[in-house]
Amino acid sequence: MVATARLAADSVTLGYDEQTIVSDVSLAIPDGKITTIIGPNGCGKSTLLRSLVRLKAPDSGTVILDGQAIQHFPTKEVAKRLGLLAQQATAPGGVTVEDLVMRGRFPHQSFLQPPNQQDRDAVDRALDLTNMTGLRTRPVDQLSGGQRQRAWIAMVLAQETPILLLDEPTTYLDIAHQLQIVELVRHLNETDGRTIVLVLHDINEAIRISHNIVAMKDGQILAQGSPASIITSELIGEIYGAECDVLLAPGQDKPFCIPRGRHAASPESREAAAAVFEVDGLRTSYGKINVLHGLTCDMPAGAITGIVGPNACGKSTLLRSCGRLLRPTEGQVRLAGRDVNRGKHKELSRNLSLMAQSPTMPSGFQVEDLVSLGRAPHQGFFRQWREEDEEAVETALNHCNLCELRRRSIETLSGGQRQRAWFGMTLAQDTPVLLLDEPTTFLDLAAQIEMLDLVREMNQAQQRSVVMVLHDLNLAARYCDYLIVMKDGQIVTSGTPRAVVTEEMLADVFGIEATVMPDPANGMPLVIPHQAIEEMHASAHDSNNG
Amino acid sequence: MSSQPSPIKLTSQKPGHIVFRRRYVAWRINFRVLLFAILGATVLVLLALWAMLLGTANISVVEAVRASFGKGDPDTIFVMQQLRVPRVLCAILVGGCLAMSGAVFQGLVRNPLVSPDIIGIDAGATAAAVFWILGGQSFISLPVAAFLGAMATAVAIYFLSWKGGISPDRLILVGIGVAAALAAVTTFLLIRTPPREARPAQVWTIGSIYGSNWGDIQWLAPVFFMGLLGSVILMWPLRLLQLGDDLTRGLGVPLERTRLLLIVVGCLLAATAVAVAGPIGFVALMTPHIVKMLAGPLSGSVMVLIAVAGGIFLLGADMIAQHALPVSLPVGLLTAAVGGPYFLFLLYRTNDRS
Repeated sequence: MVATARLAADSVTLGYDEQTIVSDVSLAIPDGKITTIIGPNGCGKSTLLRSLVRLKAPDSGTVILDGQAIQHFPTKEVAKRLGLLAQQATAPGGVTVEDLVMRGRFPHQSFLQPPNQQDRDAVDRALDLTNMTGLRTRPVDQLSGGQRQRAWIAMVLAQETPILLLDEPTTYLDIAHQLQIVELVRHLNETDGRTIVLVLHDINEAIRISHNIVAMKDGQILAQGSPASIITSELIGEIYGAECDVLLAPGQDKPFCIPRGRHAASPESREAAAAVFEVDGLRTSYGKINVLHGLTCDMPAGAITGIVGPNACGKSTLLRSCGRLLRPTEGQVRLAGRDVNRGKHKELSRNLSLMAQSPTMPSGFQVEDLVSLGRAPHQGFFRQWREEDEEAVETALNHCNLCELRRRSIETLSGGQRQRAWFGMTLAQDTPVLLLDEPTTFLDLAAQIEMLDLVREMNQAQQRSVVMVLHDLNLAARYCDYLIVMKDGQIVTSGTPRAVVTEEMLADVFGIEATVMPDPANGMPLVIPHQAIEEMHASAHDSNNG
Repeated sequence: MSSQPSPIKLTSQKPGHIVFRRRYVAWRINFRVLLFAILGATVLVLLALWAMLLGTANISVVEAVRASFGKGDPDTIFVMQQLRVPRVLCAILVGGCLAMSGAVFQGLVRNPLVSPDIIGIDAGATAAAVFWILGGQSFISLPVAAFLGAMATAVAIYFLSWKGGISPDRLILVGIGVAAALAAVTTFLLIRTPPREARPAQVWTIGSIYGSNWGDIQWLAPVFFMGLLGSVILMWPLRLLQLGDDLTRGLGVPLERTRLLLIVVGCLLAATAVAVAGPIGFVALMTPHIVKMLAGPLSGSVMVLIAVAGGIFLLGADMIAQHALPVSLPVGLLTAAVGGPYFLFLLYRTNDRS
């Protein structure tokens, strides 16, 4: 294997309370290479990463840094050698990019010593590498998602460590920003020769970037090696429990994975007879900032409509306007011919159900209780539990395969199970129209497919109309009958996936260079991204409002 | 996952629940909670009987019950009807009101560490009452002043937290700020007055029920029962509020209207209790927790149990404060002494989980 490894784990076991998360894992991180840890939700990849930087002490075994057990180093010494970008880091309000990046210098400073030239140079270099120089005086909380992520990476870079560990650095980012981060990571590795350890949940991204992939499942390492040598459909099936095709895209030397669900492809586009939603001159704003600039479109009835677009293009805002969660400043949204903002809330909620992006988890609820809450629009104080309520809840539990989990407390569910429970609640509401806001975020590959298969089933079996926001283009192309592509608060184009997903559109809307090829299994468009077209330019105007 | 949904069975009853369906009503009742409520009510009645027997005058059970209904020895009748019965009833009703109010506020702001005494309702009543007493006004109209103080504070908090809607976090922060400001007013009033004159006001600020009479109960009882009815009905939308704003709206609940109603009910209950008994702390905070630990998440029937438990809790505390200690103390002191550590315990547990 590798001759030298400055960082290694030697039969490490990790757990919380009684539960073992990582059991007896040994792993050497090859120097000067990009290593990516992949695996399903809850497989222990983030926990392992935390133990590698000494944020979590192993129950048994040792983490070895430069030939010594890591716990024997002083904290500052560890921080001079290892830099960690944690997942979902939160920025304190009002801190500027420069201040944030300067914090990365902490291990090199002492209490009485003010920042010296060396620190300032390191900060400049970090800002330069991440292309954040132009934004150095901006407060972090006013940046867009992509810029903020770059600011955090700059902070870790300023730490100037030979080894970098990044935990899901691309979540929440749209595809162009993802590619930019990937590019940056590659650059750091190639020109600076730094060792990089990543945790990623997008397998294709992992393949694209890594020299070495570590595949984990249930706290153990199943396979390790170069992407080309280890990525096979058997391995993916084993770790994620999902069927997956692995193909070599023309002109590419790296494999590309396409997960398969129960539904091979969406059927040939039906002629949409009627529109379920008619959006007419819709303008919406948060406070003084306009988000939607006069949208007009129809969403076909009985079909799955997907809204796609880069971060902050207003796709969630459009969905929220359809669900009466936001009042338009101008224009209207009509559901089956009627303005959604008129009439009683309860009336609307019998026709339209909504699955929010990250709902609050009520404590002490069982799955069954949660699903039952979906019946609320059909109930009243004196009619709390009629036969039809019971029937609808049972049907929803059955469809979402929640019967065995019905008495489980929702706090104990995995991410995928929890998402199914929320979807069950939405189904129990028994409405002809469903609105889903990013139903697949936080889910691993198998759970994503499972979720969308469920949506497809509901649509086909019961002719329910579905409108959903998705950020994965390949999933959107596969599961939607109709796509609405948005950018900067406007609709760029709409139509069937085949008509809409083209290389030109990807360049124009998402700012990426990609190959679009027909999926060999079903002919639906398949997006194989290569790189972001624009360099990370730190212009002020691509800041956004959320 | 099976792609074929299996035929639906309606046999899978939720354990511990009974379904009651007639022409106009269809209810599913949590049997366990109901059982708890019956048990609680029994305990409450027994405790009340015991409380009526305690005291310097030695009275037997039979005598006590007879005297309560106006039969027997005139002295005993006086002791029972004018002293012991009102005090016991008052303890039960005040405890019940406080506990329900706490449950309503905790559900409303989705935060288990909130209660009317923390977000300033009690502080408003206290400031008004202290002002009233120090101003030399009559003790008979004191509850009215305290009630007005509490309601005025509630209105102020509501409007200060309004920003195109009520955000729960804002409500808590504004409430804590208002509470601190009003506490400062109370302290200022107290230290500006000579100690002798300030004493009755100071005693009021601890909270007690020893001066309670039938007048208080005439007022407490209707509020208690209306509040009980109101909050049991409001528990229906309140369950949905636990899911966050978007989903609550998505499920057809008019959000701001429901929040306003909840605030009105919660404030009325708290203001009435405080007006009669003074700011008795921690009952509102603790009782909903203990009950939820026993009986599960909030629902109409759990609310009934919370009311009963509040009664038991305050009555028990008053009995201990009055009889079990070497000196008789205001009950507010005892609840605070128990409640403080409990609050810390709660905080510790909440941190532990997150």
